[in-house]
Amino acid sequence: MINAYILLNMKPGNSDKAIKEMRKIEDIAKISVVAGEYDIVVRVQVKSLDGLLKVTDKIQLIDSVVKTTTQIIEKEIAL
Amino acid sequence: MKIKIRKKYLFYVLAFTSAIIAALVSGIDAVAQIHIPDPWALGVSCFVLGVIVSFIFSIILSIPFKGKSLGARSIDPTFRRIRLLKKEELIYHLFAGLGNATLTIGYFMLLYIMGGDVSVVLPFSQVVVLYLVIIESLSEKDTPTLVEVQSSLIVTFGAILGSISLTGKIDIFALGIVFLVINPGWVLLSVFQRKLKMMKINDRPNDAINIRLWNVIFACLFTIIIVLAFDLFSGTNHLINGIQASLNSYFWVGLMAIGTFFNFVFYIRALGIGKASVTQAVKSSIIIFSIPVTILLGYFGIIEPFTTDPVMLLIKFVGIIIMMLGIISFALTLTKSYIFITMKTGYPIEETMKKLWTIKGVNRVTAVTGKYDFIIKVRTRTLVKGYERILRKVQDIPGIKEYRWQSVLKEWEDL
Repeated sequence: MINAYILLNMKPGNSDKAIKEMRKIEDIAKISVVAGEYDIVVRVQVKSLDGLLKVTDKIQLIDSVVKTTTQIIEKEIAL
Repeated sequence: MKIKIRKKYLFYVLAFTSAIIAALVSGIDAVAQIHIPDPWALGVSCFVLGVIVSFIFSIILSIPFKGKSLGARSIDPTFRRIRLLKKEELIYHLFAGLGNATLTIGYFMLLYIMGGDVSVVLPFSQVVVLYLVIIESLSEKDTPTLVEVQSSLIVTFGAILGSISLTGKIDIFALGIVFLVINPGWVLLSVFQRKLKMMKINDRPNDAINIRLWNVIFACLFTIIIVLAFDLFSGTNHLINGIQASLNSYFWVGLMAIGTFFNFVFYIRALGIGKASVTQAVKSSIIIFSIPVTILLGYFGIIEPFTTDPVMLLIKFVGIIIMMLGIISFALTLTKSYIFITMKTGYPIEETMKKLWTIKGVNRVTAVTGKYDFIIKVRTRTLVKGYERILRKVQDIPGIKEYRWQSVLKEWEDL
């Protein structure tokens, strides 16, 4: 299983519609709207790198997404 | 298709559902007490039938349906099927089971001393929220913030006012049982059930259905041992009466056991999301949900009619308002953030991860490839605390070149 964070920069306006579309994508486990350098942080859980490519593609096809930065998780400690 | 919802909503939905079911169970409890007047026997029969009912429901919920079990589809997505206990769970289950048995026995003792009317003393069991706050203060990761302590106090006092009754009398010994037996029992039960829920079993989060099933099995064993010892010591027959009552009044006790099973499954799931004290505080809302049940039972003459004394009604009303304010302040004051960290070269990743993990409020540390080296997730009640308690500590870790704080404004995740 591959887990990754995809950090998104968005065009202003219409973010509700973009989030609505992202909520429909199966492999996205979490969507956080954030304030700062990025606009949205998405957590993805996929079976392979090929799967990651497909999710990134789907996200990039959403109208108001300007840029994606992918960070693959190598190790994790969580509560 | 998976449903993504806001986790905060999920937590409150679970805790309130648990409170609503618990309020209904308290109504059935009142009816069952008429059928089984001996409280010890009632307790024993609850656990005996509880084990049977939990086992049957766990099996039903294990039935696969379109690739997933019924339990995963309806109650807890992490549930696969009924399973045997793992070695690493045993110690936690022993404590949680002992806690459940202790609070139940404490409740019997209370009924025994007070001659059945525990309505004056029992509201003080709400103070358990404060016990949990103290326990969490002692643990490294869960230290409550000032807002949490304030809200816990507000909820506790509101809950006491909301459930107080003027019938019966205050008895110091009975109060001692509430503070020294029932509340510590409840603390054991919730703290260890939370630990179990946070455990990973076969690389998956532990599920609430198996936790409840095994808790009721252990609690039943401990209760039988304690009641048997009491019987031998005092020459009574509570254990035999309890087993007989299980056969004679199986309908009402079985109904109670079914309600209790689902009440705890939802409660344990909520414990997996929120702190034990916050979950318990939200669950105190049982007082609000019990009002219609009490009115209904009073109407049918099963218990004393609901009070019509205006002073009493006013006290209850004020208590409920105070309690709701406390719960709302819990809900509105939690903030989450991401911190993206870039490191200088020459600092070992594992060591830095461990250092980041020791910071209070950090609940996820990930080492990542790409533009950043670590992404950490933090939870704090105020941004001031976020700076004082988290950012300053992050800055102190050697090797950190740059960090960026991103406050989460809204979040959705898989149910």
